[in-house]
Amino acid sequence: MAGVLIRMKLTVVKNSMTGGRAAWMLVGALLGLLFAAATIWLSLVELPNREVLGDLLAGVFGMWTLGWLVGPLWGGSAVLRADHFMLLPMPRRRLALGLLGAAFVGITTAVTALGFAGLITYGARQGLAPGLLAVPVAALQLVFVVLLSRVAYALFGVVAASRAGAAVTGVLFAAMLVLTQSGWMIVVAVMYSDILETGFSHPTTVALRAVPSSWGVVAVDAAGRGDWPLAIAAPAGLAALCVLLLLVWSVELGTPRRARATIRGSAGRAPVSGGPLGGTTGAVVRKELRTWWRDPLRTTTAVVPIVWALGTALLPLTFDARLLLPWAGPALALFAITSACNLYSQDGTALWQTLTIGAERADVRGRQWAYLIVFAPPAVALSVAFTWWSGAAWAWPWVAAAVPALLGGGAGLIAHSSVFGLVPGPDAHKRPSNPLERADTTGRSNVLFWVGLVPPAPALAVVYLGTRWDERWLSWAGLPVGVLTGVVVAWVLGGLAIRKLTEDGPDLLHAMRTGRPTVSRAAGGAGVARKGGTVEGLSWGLGSILLIPQGIVPLVFILSDIDVRSWFLAMYVRPLLGVPIAVASMLAGIALYARAVMTRVDDRTGRAGAPAPAGERELESV
Amino acid sequence: MEPATIRHAGAGRADAGGPPAALRLSGLHKTFGTNTAVDHVDLVVPRGSFFGLVGPNGAGKTTSLSMAVGLLRPDEGTAQVFGVDVWSDPVEAKALLGVLPDGLSMPERLTGRELLTYLGQLRGIEAGVLAGRVQDLLDVMELGAAERTLVVDYSTGMRKKIGLATALLHGPRLLVLDEPFEAVDPVSAAALKAILNGFVAGGGSVVLSSHVMPLVEQLCDTVAVMAGGRVVAAGPLAEVRGDGTLEQTFVRLVGGDAHARRGLSWLVS
Repeated sequence: MAGVLIRMKLTVVKNSMTGGRAAWMLVGALLGLLFAAATIWLSLVELPNREVLGDLLAGVFGMWTLGWLVGPLWGGSAVLRADHFMLLPMPRRRLALGLLGAAFVGITTAVTALGFAGLITYGARQGLAPGLLAVPVAALQLVFVVLLSRVAYALFGVVAASRAGAAVTGVLFAAMLVLTQSGWMIVVAVMYSDILETGFSHPTTVALRAVPSSWGVVAVDAAGRGDWPLAIAAPAGLAALCVLLLLVWSVELGTPRRARATIRGSAGRAPVSGGPLGGTTGAVVRKELRTWWRDPLRTTTAVVPIVWALGTALLPLTFDARLLLPWAGPALALFAITSACNLYSQDGTALWQTLTIGAERADVRGRQWAYLIVFAPPAVALSVAFTWWSGAAWAWPWVAAAVPALLGGGAGLIAHSSVFGLVPGPDAHKRPSNPLERADTTGRSNVLFWVGLVPPAPALAVVYLGTRWDERWLSWAGLPVGVLTGVVVAWVLGGLAIRKLTEDGPDLLHAMRTGRPTVSRAAGGAGVARKGGTVEGLSWGLGSILLIPQGIVPLVFILSDIDVRSWFLAMYVRPLLGVPIAVASMLAGIALYARAVMTRVDDRTGRAGAPAPAGERELESV
Repeated sequence: MEPATIRHAGAGRADAGGPPAALRLSGLHKTFGTNTAVDHVDLVVPRGSFFGLVGPNGAGKTTSLSMAVGLLRPDEGTAQVFGVDVWSDPVEAKALLGVLPDGLSMPERLTGRELLTYLGQLRGIEAGVLAGRVQDLLDVMELGAAERTLVVDYSTGMRKKIGLATALLHGPRLLVLDEPFEAVDPVSAAALKAILNGFVAGGGSVVLSSHVMPLVEQLCDTVAVMAGGRVVAAGPLAEVRGDGTLEQTFVRLVGGDAHARRGLSWLVS
């Protein structure tokens, strides 16, 4: 049973190891290995205060568990889904055990097992008995996280269809982004504090060790002290939890008893027409606003920028820096561009309606207005509230100049990107509930994040000059300049999108119907595209790491005399050498970004012209 | 496969000098990679006809119809609706057309009434007229009971019906329907047939694709049979089917596989 399921899973994984997916798996495995190595290293570190080490290790195991909770939500559905086997005549508990067996086969489990070996080294330092005890306990801990992840995903699937679930998804997604991009701020904060000498406060320690993911550490510590009742009780508790989770999971595997959360429309009245939103564009605006309100995928799209902006701006408060607070609003407006860059793909083949009516102009303009109506209020509100909270009076003209340019530029960029850079995803009517089933726009979002910084540049330059020459009126002239750039960019890029949609609409529709562009790939192109995808994915990942945490951040630290080493390579040498290392790292990051862009361009042009290999997917129900 | 036995409706026939045909496809051609989906198809749908396009799976029906209505760019050839070229003068052609594609999304997060209202507004239908039409369509399609259900939660049959409603909304002169009766229950199907028959009686033209032969025989006066991307027979129903049924003609033209009819010898209770 489990054997068959494991072989099945391996086959599915093998068949889906293509392009960016394989690249991300590789990057994920490497990062996981790094984290596992760090965990083992931590368990061997000599600290002045022994207690702190246990606490830190418990915290790290907590992070592993959190990763297992969030991972499946981020990475989409499991490879083998229980509903695939619903018609097989077998008891649910057996199916649960079989699927559990299959769940253990995977890179993630292997990497986690390695990380949990840190518990064994930690125990071995305290003596033979704790070391031996740690072996089964670490295994139990692994079973626990795998089961917890399965159960959480099963339960989450129930709520994900609702708008609240979609919002939660957005929050988790944004939190992961903030942690991966700016998590180093927390590390810096811990290193600056004196926690490592004094230890955590007693309530923190108790709370930290009460979490089940810490019970392994508790057991080993107890064994080290010779407190055997506790050393047996903690793993026993963990085992009991595992049994409980297995029971919950096997129940959840059954036919869903709860109805799916359905989002309802408004009752029997026609939508009003006329007013400020009259006309054809107005009809699209009102249609779009209803979609933003009702589609879980749009809810996630809207929530991610807000949480990302909040997280990024609030994180420096951990070391009491209010520096980023005024930039929460602009950050929201900037990240909204990367989040909403694939609007047409989200609606999928519904484009045929627009094409048969010939309403391309109204459609693009309507979407732009709807984007502004959705994102402008929170961006403005956040800007005003947080700038006021920060008490940084100098920030007002900067924020006032940036926000309108970012919003207007965004309205233009999302329209342009949604049409010119359309990434096909699951069709709209085939994803009624799961906001996680969407097209992969990682590469495009990366580009737009930087391109999105261009529209506010003129306005910010004006403010800069105003500050430099100490001319108050000039600083505030940034606001009208920002508004003007925003309007122009939105108008021009929207116009380009309209033209493209009018001319090539059927090709875009075809791309969304079949999941690939109309221009056929070069013969044998599948292999090329796969390789290109891997290169592109790796380039984005490594480029980001080299450019920001290994390039810009250490450079800023060196230039402003902050002495934090953490994992910033350039901080481990003399400042004189650190600067060139940081600069080289930035250049390498930019080069990798360029490489990724070029791979994508090559991929596009390479596909044009020559005929595609036979047997590719065609129009459905031809 | 047998060679084409009947070829009444070709590009050279009809409308020489007379009013243009409702739909005229000339040399439409489309390849996907090395696979030719539609191979230089010529087809004329006369005005006022109820035209059935039949063919096995993969014959190229959906691809042909998608190119005919401007939803898929042909590699070669033209499509004209009442003499208006779909690809060079799309705006005028699209005003004459009502389309129901198969298996495509719609603006999913709207109720049926909202969907029809917004599409009507996009087509520039006057508010008073529009409200009446929307109500009529919802009544006829029996979608009024699901007033608060979003299109994404519609059943397959309901999706067909709301799709047909969007195709009828602006009072087109030619309807192009891809598998309109698939998954529609018999009661609704009867209502749809009545609507379509009334539409043709009132001077409209209908093109529908299907693989249900009895249905095509019952509704259509003109048929074309497609197989392997070509039109293998076309003309008035009586001529195409001759003495037998349409189904017999179809199997003869398209060529059934002996293996497929042999059955599974082990499947006995």
